[in-house]
Amino acid sequence: MTQATTRSRSAIAAHPAISAAIAILVAADIFFALYTPIYARLTPKLGDFPFMYWYLLIFMPITSLALWLAMQLQKTLTRDVSTGDVSTVDASGSEDVR
Amino acid sequence: MSNVNATTFTIVVVLFVIVSGTGFLAARWRRAENMMHLDEWGLGGRGFGTFITWFLLGGDLYTAYTFIAVPALVFGSGSIGFYAVAYTIMVFPVVFIFLPRLWSVCRAHSYVTPADFIRGRYGSRGLALASALTGILALMPYIALQLVGIQAVLTVMGVGTSSTNTYVKDVPLFIAFLVLAFFTYVSGLRAPALIAFIKDTLIYLFVIVAVFYIPTRLGGWSHIFGTAQAHFASLSPTTHKPLGTFVPTSASVGSTQFDFASLALGSAVALFLYPHAITGTLAARRRSVVKRNMIYLPMYSVLLALIALFGYMAITDPTTAANVKKAGNAQLAVPYLFQHMFPSWFTGIAFAGIIIGALVPAAIMAIAAANLFTRNVFVEFFKQDASPALQTRMSQWVSLVVKLGALYFAVELPHTFSINLQLLGGVWILQLAPMLIGGLFTRWFHRWALLTGWLAGMAFGTIAAYNVSNATSSHWAGASDIELGHSIYIGLSAVIINLVVAVVLTPVLRAAKVPEGTDETLPHQYTADPEEAPARAPAGVTAQLD
Repeated sequence: MTQATTRSRSAIAAHPAISAAIAILVAADIFFALYTPIYARLTPKLGDFPFMYWYLLIFMPITSLALWLAMQLQKTLTRDVSTGDVSTVDASGSEDVR
Repeated sequence: MSNVNATTFTIVVVLFVIVSGTGFLAARWRRAENMMHLDEWGLGGRGFGTFITWFLLGGDLYTAYTFIAVPALVFGSGSIGFYAVAYTIMVFPVVFIFLPRLWSVCRAHSYVTPADFIRGRYGSRGLALASALTGILALMPYIALQLVGIQAVLTVMGVGTSSTNTYVKDVPLFIAFLVLAFFTYVSGLRAPALIAFIKDTLIYLFVIVAVFYIPTRLGGWSHIFGTAQAHFASLSPTTHKPLGTFVPTSASVGSTQFDFASLALGSAVALFLYPHAITGTLAARRRSVVKRNMIYLPMYSVLLALIALFGYMAITDPTTAANVKKAGNAQLAVPYLFQHMFPSWFTGIAFAGIIIGALVPAAIMAIAAANLFTRNVFVEFFKQDASPALQTRMSQWVSLVVKLGALYFAVELPHTFSINLQLLGGVWILQLAPMLIGGLFTRWFHRWALLTGWLAGMAFGTIAAYNVSNATSSHWAGASDIELGHSIYIGLSAVIINLVVAVVLTPVLRAAKVPEGTDETLPHQYTADPEEAPARAPAGVTAQLD
């Protein structure tokens, strides 16, 4: 048990940039949908669609893409670790505190 | 039954019969040696791959909420209804953070329900009971929403008796529901998993056709958006305020941006706390199956966004708008729109899609609630040595009882906006966030602090939701109220209170040396991905350690 914890921790320590990238990808996805002032507006329009309506539609495939990227990055993070994959928040450093 | 369109009616009935047959036959699909086991009846054998899981979760998460309730809110109030679109964008990154960990630890310990995990993590039967009862309670209004959705379609079809007694008037609804109850009883989770394929085919078909066809009949998107914008800017004759908003406003008084964001965030965090969403997840074969689905499921969200726009189309079409107004029920917006826009045979396909789209999640919800009751109430407190066969039998019967409870919610609560049913469920289920999501990452919280926080959140949330009134009903009329000058989703304010109580009490209880309970989970089990599904028999709730 201690061994496994040390291993996933060392994976994060060995790849701080990748770990940070994963955290940012996931956090940005949430932020750009949560912070309404960004998109609660009518212009610029795309075709006949007011801004808010096309922004939200286009954001969905972007979310998919960002999560796909995060998953690929997680794979590189754990390639040299034999315990399988490590979840995002392991990557951002929090682990069982007890 | 005089104004029933024969073509529409026939197509709906034929598709319903096909689906019911599939539901019963599903018991033979991927058949296990021993079906009388909760891993089989309740989790479909825990062996679904990416493809089936995508259909199952899609069928599970995109419900009458999507097809009826969201467009109804858009029809009635405008842009605030699009919080659901922001919510379904946010939900996948949110659950990407914690769901794989939940899957892994539940697989390692053969947990069937989220409450099994709570019990194992905190060594607390009381906390597990609290979470199980919350789950069951929160599912009731959500299942009720499915019934309201089916009811809306049946009303527009003109099916039903003219009696004034609600229970007599809705006989066709009860028939549909009985069939659902029986195939769930027989086939367990396999039934909704298999039916989800039919459901999704119908839904993708009618949504894509509708999105391209209806605007050509209504003078294009430009006219649709223009009409909606003008409609919501006009003043209500009774309140002398605008009818709604076309984009959320940022005014210091009556800001809808804050409400919009809090509804979206609250719903996003709530979704995978719901027992039925977790049931769908635990049925997956591998950890990577769960993750891949977070990437593919947003495809459904595109669908939800397009369906939300049907609300604006309904405003633009004068006949539909007049029909809905005459009936005084915004839930009828989408069914009336389809009936007026499509030839009757295609209306039949769309209506069947909506009805089946409500039955699939209702089945999974009933299974999830039944598993909770069996594992965390019946076995835990009444019969510790219950055999797997007895547990399964118990779940089968409870799934029937749960549906009756939902029926009560559907009939008794006001549903000017049925979306409030789902938001009310969300207020309750969100109170599990500190113990469940928190517990996946840390054992810092003290179990009694979590229990007290839960109690505070539940009490605040329930009272606040009860006190929301509007012009037509004095209680349970909404899911947002004013806190500190902002309109905010009650679920979110309640869970903040919950969390604060838990954080404050934890050091106090620890200093007082109140026993913490034993944690049977191990750190590496939160990231594990066993090659083979461990089909070990769970020995009651007290699952053995690895």
